Amino acid sequence: MEIKGGSYTAVIGHTGSGKSTLMQHLNGLVKPTEGTVTVGDIVIKNDSKAKEIKPVRRKVGVVFQFPETQLFEETVLKDVAFGPKNFGVSEEDALQTAKEKLNLVGLPEEFWERSPFELSGGQMRRVAIAGILAMEPEVLVLDEPTAGLDPKARIEMMELFESIHAIGQTVVLVTHLMDDVANYADFVYLIEKGRVIDCGQPHDVFQKVAFLKQHELGVPKATEFAVALQKQGVEFRRLPITRAELVMVLSSMKNHLGGDL
Amino acid sequence: MLMGRYIPGDSAIHKMDPRSKLLVMIAFIAVIFLANDWLGYLLLLIYTFAGVWLSKISISYFLKGLRPMLGLILFTVIFQMLFTPGEHILFHFWILQVSIESLINAVYIFFRFVLIIFMSTILTLTTPPLTLADGIETGLSPLKKLKVPVHELGLMLSISLRFIPTLMDDTTMIMNAQKARGMDFGEGSLLQKIKSVIPILIPLFVSSFRRADDLAIAMESRGYQGGDGRTKYRQLKWQSRDTILVISIIIMALVLILWSKVSK
Repeated sequence: MEIKGGSYTAVIGHTGSGKSTLMQHLNGLVKPTEGTVTVGDIVIKNDSKAKEIKPVRRKVGVVFQFPETQLFEETVLKDVAFGPKNFGVSEEDALQTAKEKLNLVGLPEEFWERSPFELSGGQMRRVAIAGILAMEPEVLVLDEPTAGLDPKARIEMMELFESIHAIGQTVVLVTHLMDDVANYADFVYLIEKGRVIDCGQPHDVFQKVAFLKQHELGVPKATEFAVALQKQGVEFRRLPITRAELVMVLSSMKNHLGGDL
Repeated sequence: MLMGRYIPGDSAIHKMDPRSKLLVMIAFIAVIFLANDWLGYLLLLIYTFAGVWLSKISISYFLKGLRPMLGLILFTVIFQMLFTPGEHILFHFWILQVSIESLINAVYIFFRFVLIIFMSTILTLTTPPLTLADGIETGLSPLKKLKVPVHELGLMLSISLRFIPTLMDDTTMIMNAQKARGMDFGEGSLLQKIKSVIPILIPLFVSSFRRADDLAIAMESRGYQGGDGRTKYRQLKWQSRDTILVISIIIMALVLILWSKVSK
């Protein structure tokens, strides 16, 4: 497996397929029993020591599932600054970075001096994510970042990650939402029972509808709709994977047929 | 960790009523102190190992249960050996002395520990925690007359037991999350080590409060109104094998008392 710098890589698989274990390997929380994990110029082996692994934690920021449970400081600002301070950043610089990142995740300034426990669930999650971003990691790993959010907050959050990715951040997204993979990722790994069963660009991977179904993995809603249309005799050169694509393909067909579809 | 673990099985001991097992377990601790010579201890050993054999659980589990206590056992045994006064002194150094009596005493103490631990391990390995909580609740029910809130205690006990694994999972999760934010555990001076617990403890408390809140609401919405007028889903059944078990410990106690009278 390889994750390219600046890419938006998605990892999908069932519960218990080993996604989370894989994720913990990326920042050295779990050491490989066999083989190596290479992050930048650091190699994690089975016998690597804690001291050698710590720099990896700064390079790879992991946002765990329900990250709002990890908040503990008195104020939002202090909590966000906790990460950088652990890596030896001075108090002032850490607070400065914390402010920047809170702006980035879109949490209004009036909340910064409040206790994190007074915030709403969605706001708490923003604070937790800002806490990871404040370490300025080279790779941002997200484990189902939108689990338990309402549809609006879910889209806002995914757009936030997209905007961070757009300014050059490497993002690794662990999820089971195929629509998110189709909409945002530029590379995808499929995992089953601890093994990579397929990988490639979402466009190519989601063409194999039968293969995905066979492994009990879904396809994006747009693709599903297209497959249903296919059964009715509509022909697609390639199955669309996002809604926008589906709309585009269908409207071009409509024009082609002279508005008769 | 073995403490409080339950190993499913189908042995005679697994099928016994938790009340009888608890009763015998407590009685056994008292009975152990009745033995004061090697024959008494031999009898207790046979009794315990009969239990181990009947439970059909590999002896290695029992040895594992012994391991965390080993330090304490050795500490006590060595102190007994060095500080018990005796007549036939084998070895003498400063205020320390080893005599035949103290050696024998140390061996007895060692066996007492091992037997008590083995017995309690039999209880926990063969009884599911919730059944055990039920057993404790019904066992305490006579105390209701003394206005002890037995039902509430039992409820708290079963809820705590059910949430131990959940809280353990939470702890690992929070620890990992804080490690990912650059937290080091178990490093630095004592003060630093204590300080490093805060980022785990506070989230853990907060999530416990939240869980308690959710659970209370969920219980109320399912019609829970306290212990009065509730029926029980898990019925405890006292069978003839439970009676046999209780009789066996009574016989043990009688034999040991008689034996100590005779040998004097």
